[in-house]
Amino acid sequence: MNVDELKNLKIDKFVDARGTACPGPLMATKKAIGEMKQGEVIEVLSSDPGTKRDVPMWAVKKGFEYLGDILEDGYFRLYIKK
Amino acid sequence: MTIALYTGSFDKLTATGVIINGAVADDLDVEIFVLLMGAHAFKKENIGKTDHMAELADKKEEFLASLKQLKLPTWMEFFKTAKEMGNVHIHICGLAGKVWNGLAVEDFNELVDDICGIGEYIASTQTADVNLFI
Repeated sequence: MNVDELKNLKIDKFVDARGTACPGPLMATKKAIGEMKQGEVIEVLSSDPGTKRDVPMWAVKKGFEYLGDILEDGYFRLYIKK
Repeated sequence: MTIALYTGSFDKLTATGVIINGAVADDLDVEIFVLLMGAHAFKKENIGKTDHMAELADKKEEFLASLKQLKLPTWMEFFKTAKEMGNVHIHICGLAGKVWNGLAVEDFNELVDDICGIGEYIASTQTADVNLFI
């Protein structure tokens, strides 16, 4: 998905994990996805550089759909569909 | 995943905490067998202590300040989160317990599930995909 498509997504769950170091954002994402229904979309905010590689890899391995990410000033927005 | 946790140093315990959180995120079961020096760190009276650092001991103050600045959980908090979110068990080796005068589960912090022998660890490694010695 491109940035415009990502920005227009309907977000079902939002997690702001900025300020936590690895593995904080990954654990917060796992916890939140566990509470979601199939087909719902989560937006995760992270300022940890490792997360941008970790979370997509993890999401795909777990059978979720990684929709993409947006680089903001000093952090990322990551989007995953359960 | 099985881990032979020999270290009693908070730096290596912190690294272990990060690893087991990653393992739990990946839905791995984790069986931790706490060996000799490790059992010292799990004793009730040593909760929260950062006396012992295994690597770069001369940089302890810098390391601790950095962990604080990063708002990183303590190693015990990492272990606690992993236990809450996944299937993680912590076993104290009976011999290690005796070395540090810990004979019952109650002598250790609340993370500890039981006290066991080395046979259980060896049996456990044979069905695990990953085995670490830390």
